[in-house]
Amino acid sequence: SVSNQTSTIVLLVFMLALGAQALTPSHHLSPSDVDRLQAILSQPFTDLKSAYFSIVGLSKLGLSVADANGACSFIKANVDSSSVESLFYAAEASQALASCEIHVSNETRDLLHAAVSEDSTVSQIHQAVSALSSFSLPLASQEVVSALKARISKEDNVLAITLALQTASRLSQQAELGEILEEIEDLAARLDDLGGVYLQFEEGLEATALFVSAAYALSDHVDVEPPLKEDQVIQLVNSIFSKKSWDSLSEIFSVASAAAAFSNNRFHKPVIVSALGPATVSHSQPLLQLQVTDVLCQPLSSADVVVESASSVASKAAILSKTPFTLRDGIFELNFMASKPASGYYQFSVAVKGDSRLVANHVELKVKVSTKVAINNMDLSVVDKDQSIGTKTTRVEYPSKAKASFVADSHQNFAMTFQLVDETTGVELTPHQTFVRLHNQKTGQEVVFVAEPDSKNLYKFELDTAERKTEFDSMSGTYALYLMVGDATLENPVLWNVADLVLKFLEEEAPSTIQSKNLYVPKPEIQHEILFSGVLEINPPLPLFSVQWFKLGANISNFSLSPSSLLFHIGHAAMLGLMYVYWTHLDMFQTLKYLAIIGSLTFLAGNRMLAQKAVKRYSTHPVHIYSEVKKLNRCMSFGEK
Amino acid sequence: MSDSVFSVLTRFVEEYRNRTSSKLKVIDAYLLYILLTGAFQFLYCLLVGTFPFNSFLSGFISSVGSFILAVCLRIQINPQNKGEFLSVSPERAFADFLFAHTVLHLVVVNFIG
Repeated sequence: SVSNQTSTIVLLVFMLALGAQALTPSHHLSPSDVDRLQAILSQPFTDLKSAYFSIVGLSKLGLSVADANGACSFIKANVDSSSVESLFYAAEASQALASCEIHVSNETRDLLHAAVSEDSTVSQIHQAVSALSSFSLPLASQEVVSALKARISKEDNVLAITLALQTASRLSQQAELGEILEEIEDLAARLDDLGGVYLQFEEGLEATALFVSAAYALSDHVDVEPPLKEDQVIQLVNSIFSKKSWDSLSEIFSVASAAAAFSNNRFHKPVIVSALGPATVSHSQPLLQLQVTDVLCQPLSSADVVVESASSVASKAAILSKTPFTLRDGIFELNFMASKPASGYYQFSVAVKGDSRLVANHVELKVKVSTKVAINNMDLSVVDKDQSIGTKTTRVEYPSKAKASFVADSHQNFAMTFQLVDETTGVELTPHQTFVRLHNQKTGQEVVFVAEPDSKNLYKFELDTAERKTEFDSMSGTYALYLMVGDATLENPVLWNVADLVLKFLEEEAPSTIQSKNLYVPKPEIQHEILFSGVLEINPPLPLFSVQWFKLGANISNFSLSPSSLLFHIGHAAMLGLMYVYWTHLDMFQTLKYLAIIGSLTFLAGNRMLAQKAVKRYSTHPVHIYSEVKKLNRCMSFGEK
Repeated sequence: MSDSVFSVLTRFVEEYRNRTSSKLKVIDAYLLYILLTGAFQFLYCLLVGTFPFNSFLSGFISSVGSFILAVCLRIQINPQNKGEFLSVSPERAFADFLFAHTVLHLVVVNFIG
């Protein structure tokens, strides 16, 4: 009925809205990243702690150490029975190896039991409990729970609570783990959302990764779904797997643990869907290939991968609906070309089904269908403007060139028509780039026009010789005519020399020489001579100045020909000459060098000369000195008195 | 109003002609020359355009700089200002003038391009 219909529509719209907003992982480990993780974890151990990281890390990735016996001996040789931490590493590592038994004495057992108390830190409790569990020793779960609860209230930081979660996952299922389980939700609330893409603790990558493995370990243990929404799970995936080069072994261990947790827990399994190579299909490559894996790049062989819908981006017409992919060698394939799509872009909506745990299993994908273009019915003709003479059409087949050149003068138009079709299907195409290029080989001129299709997808190009003369600078001559066809969806872009075209413009309009419009050549150096002569010519005030000085009696009669004076004037003239040479030839450093030499000479000579002048001046104005001497006398006589 | 301005001007010119020593008048003539050169450069730039701008700037600054240095020289060698420049003899003023000009020319020629 109507209400049924409306409710279905509302549900559909709601689901569509959800689907549109669902996140997919933008960061994930690639197969080479996983290999790198494995390689670093396989490096030789330096101490018991690094042995723990390597052995347990590899086992989480589903791999084993190369030399298990050697590893076991290493653990036995390096374990310190008096340290809870050392026992923890040894216990976990030996447990991960196939057959490695470590003998535990009674003292060791008592030491571990003693560590489980409210007075130890959460880290110590975690290590003790894990060691007891891995050594298959009995432990009192309820005591652990109460100790943990007491410690959590005292150590309210992310790492401590994460370790508490991890510890709880080793306890008996009969214990009261409910309160500890609630800590997952509290911790999840502390995660920072960065741009809707990342979700991580401010403590960093390692803390976030350890939280993920602990949360899923405990949730699996008690079989209660963790309170993480799908989007949050994907954001955690983005955060943890965005870093591809890691700082320390402990960081790598945490990433490996988180990856193992995401690929193998009971509740959430993030799916990574990516196209193998570029998402392009063509007649030569008709298969669309997808990789559908978990976070550790292991293919989900049991999944059903289905194209929910595929539609053309341009026309929005639906091409596919509910079409399954076939699995072959771990790759999901679909022969898209079998549906005979026209070339262009298609929006695919792919769903991965088969496991209720799958997260981010609806993916949008843009697929390109490319094709080869064929040029049909290329007809060239020269049409008289008044159309009194009938047109003569020449057909040219790609890729050959027209035998005779075409001649067009200002009374004629040159016309070209052609069709662009898909080589295989014969469907008409309108590529992005359809250009007609005319190249004058002698002068290097190049003029490019755009060819436009009409309503029937027939391309036309018309050249009105008289109208277009400015583009050609009215330069008559032989122009090679090229057709250029290109598009993102074309596999065979075309550059075809169709014919030669002789254009004849009216003679009086042609320029004498063609200046090549070369904008990127350095401008000619401004010639100094031009400027210098200008200075001498265009110096109006100079005559006025000379006249004034002459009138004022400036003369050279008072020139003393003493050596210092002569040297000064020569030096000064040399400095001015140096300025000119600097302007035309030298650089600053050379000039400063010469200036230092000439300058010091001039300075010494000038000093001498001016001193002589001063002495001369004082000698001709003795009153000045006499008054000074008189003052001095008065002082002295005063003193005497 | 214009009468008083005109009479002030004639008085000024008369006093200048009579009272100023020829040494100072020589420098004044030089100042006028520099001023006119600078003005001509500016006019050229306005009329013809600023290309090459660095040359215009350098030439203009050269005029302005020379004007300033000459004014300093004039102040320092004017016997009426002797009280303010006790430690600077006219020869010293002239030597300073030459040195400052050397530096100015170095900078100008570097910038003129």
